[in-house]
Amino acid sequence: MIEVKNLSLRLGEFHLRDISFTINDGEYFVILGPSGAGKTVLMECLAGLHHVKRGEIWLDGQNITRLAPEERNIGYVPQDYVLFPFLDVLGNITFGIRLRHGTADTISARVQELGRLLGIAHLLGRDTRSLSGGEKQRVALARALATSPRVLLLDEPLSAVDQRTAKSLRLELKRIHRQLHLTTVHITHDLMEALQMADRVAIIQKGVVQQVAPPEEMLFHPGSESVAEFIGAPNILDCDTSRQLGQGVVEVDCRGLKLSVPHEGTGRVAKVAILPRHIYISETRPPGLSVNGFQAVVTAINPAGTTVRIWEEVKEKALMVEVPSYIYEEMNLTVGREVFVILRMRRIRCYEART
Amino acid sequence: MAGFLKGARGERIFAIATASALVILAVFVIGILISAFSYTDWHTFWSALTSEEILFAIRLSLITATIATVISLLIAVPVAYAISRFRFPGKDIVDSLLDLPIVISPVALGAILLVFFNTPVGAAINDNVVRFVFAQPGIVLAQVTVVSALAVRLLKSTFDSIDPRYEQVARTLGCSKPEAFFRVVLPMARDGLIASVVLTWARAIGEFGATVTLAGATTMKTETLPVAIFLSLASADVAKAVAVIFILIFIAVFALLVIRKLIGRRYQL
Repeated sequence: MIEVKNLSLRLGEFHLRDISFTINDGEYFVILGPSGAGKTVLMECLAGLHHVKRGEIWLDGQNITRLAPEERNIGYVPQDYVLFPFLDVLGNITFGIRLRHGTADTISARVQELGRLLGIAHLLGRDTRSLSGGEKQRVALARALATSPRVLLLDEPLSAVDQRTAKSLRLELKRIHRQLHLTTVHITHDLMEALQMADRVAIIQKGVVQQVAPPEEMLFHPGSESVAEFIGAPNILDCDTSRQLGQGVVEVDCRGLKLSVPHEGTGRVAKVAILPRHIYISETRPPGLSVNGFQAVVTAINPAGTTVRIWEEVKEKALMVEVPSYIYEEMNLTVGREVFVILRMRRIRCYEART
Repeated sequence: MAGFLKGARGERIFAIATASALVILAVFVIGILISAFSYTDWHTFWSALTSEEILFAIRLSLITATIATVISLLIAVPVAYAISRFRFPGKDIVDSLLDLPIVISPVALGAILLVFFNTPVGAAINDNVVRFVFAQPGIVLAQVTVVSALAVRLLKSTFDSIDPRYEQVARTLGCSKPEAFFRVVLPMARDGLIASVVLTWARAIGEFGATVTLAGATTMKTETLPVAIFLSLASADVAKAVAVIFILIFIAVFALLVIRKLIGRRYQL
């Protein structure tokens, strides 16, 4: 268990203010916040890379605030991996175990185990500079895991790879987490990534932790206005029935509004949520068949900064849509006007009924 | 002017101007080398080269430059690392002071050292610890004074180019701070280290101004290769001077070839 108590740190332009939270054993904990919020500095404090003068960090009942990084046994995967260029893949992975004077047999057994776990057995002899982004990520992960750390820290692990790789890495990180049951701290600025991966999410803004909660609670009950603002006040719909369509897609009936939603679980979907910016609005009917496309009526328009919020009624349900103001200006929307909306299927989040 | 140099004509004129400068420089270097050859013949060259005095100068230069390089590197590695990594008050001033030996004339540096050994502290060191003035250890001291700044400069730029996060990651993997330095920073600084060793050594071999001021120019005693050129010319023995010049050229070319061979590219100074 990690406990951060009243941690404050000023580092150049970053200022962490009175940060306190607890991470449970085996938890997948995501620290979410916009860039410049102090996420990386906070993670570096956990790794022991900054001298913390105010506040304390405890790990499994031990005060580690003053411990050097090498005394903490916390695995750290930096954002751009920082693989040692003078060592090949094998050399990188075994760097930490060799320091601990592992025997040739234990080292080779560990390497094989990690090679299987991460699917990188075929890369061992390669120069790290010739690896793709996803491969580098896996090697950096293997290097951090090789010493059997008590905690794994992942700094924006999916931000430097392309979308397809990010998707497979996301699944892989969850699988590895399930398999190893290793307490994992993952930082990201991507809300969807946090909601998909986290057991619990901590939202950090301007060096202050705003809320620590499971993703569902964060989405449905944002703890403060700034959290609600950051998350973007999602449209939440209650669902009556759900029906498997196959290939991870489920059809839900939200009191008359039939939606196709991505859902891997087996339980009944009780609620779905979609952010206002993930709903498209059009004045004309979109050509062809569209999944989750509906006719709607504009009920209110509210310009807010660089975006315009439009409320509309779809089959007696009120939905909020957000469009950038430059797009709004090109449209001819008035209250009472009929429009067409598409709810982007892949952006809809589902929550199963609690049993 | 601007209109005249526009378009294809401008390009051509620019190419001709730069190429001409290159040709002039190349002709100049080759010309003086050939003129040096014309002053000697193989027999004179060989007998000068194998004379006891020149063999002494070669040996003395190689030994002193090697010792000076080792000492300079032992000083320069930690100093360069500290300037590159640590923040402390007055860092800019220290950084600039360390550049002084590169900019100041070596004769002035030698003179400063000579003056130092005339102070009570300096004299006590010179009389009781190691004799530097007009003695061989003076050659090493003069060389170290001149070349260590160069070594610091080269190594600092090397350390600057190594992201401190490599050390941070090494520490999360279990390295202590010194271990991280030896296991990660030094291997990553390999090219810069090789270049520093070779260039420091080559520069120490060629050092004349500070050496001659502090250690003097005594035949067969403090006679390094550059001092041998000076003494040969002073006694109008041009053939001997040319022989030594070619040794120095050979050493310089050898040093540059070693750098290119080991690092695989031209090292940017």
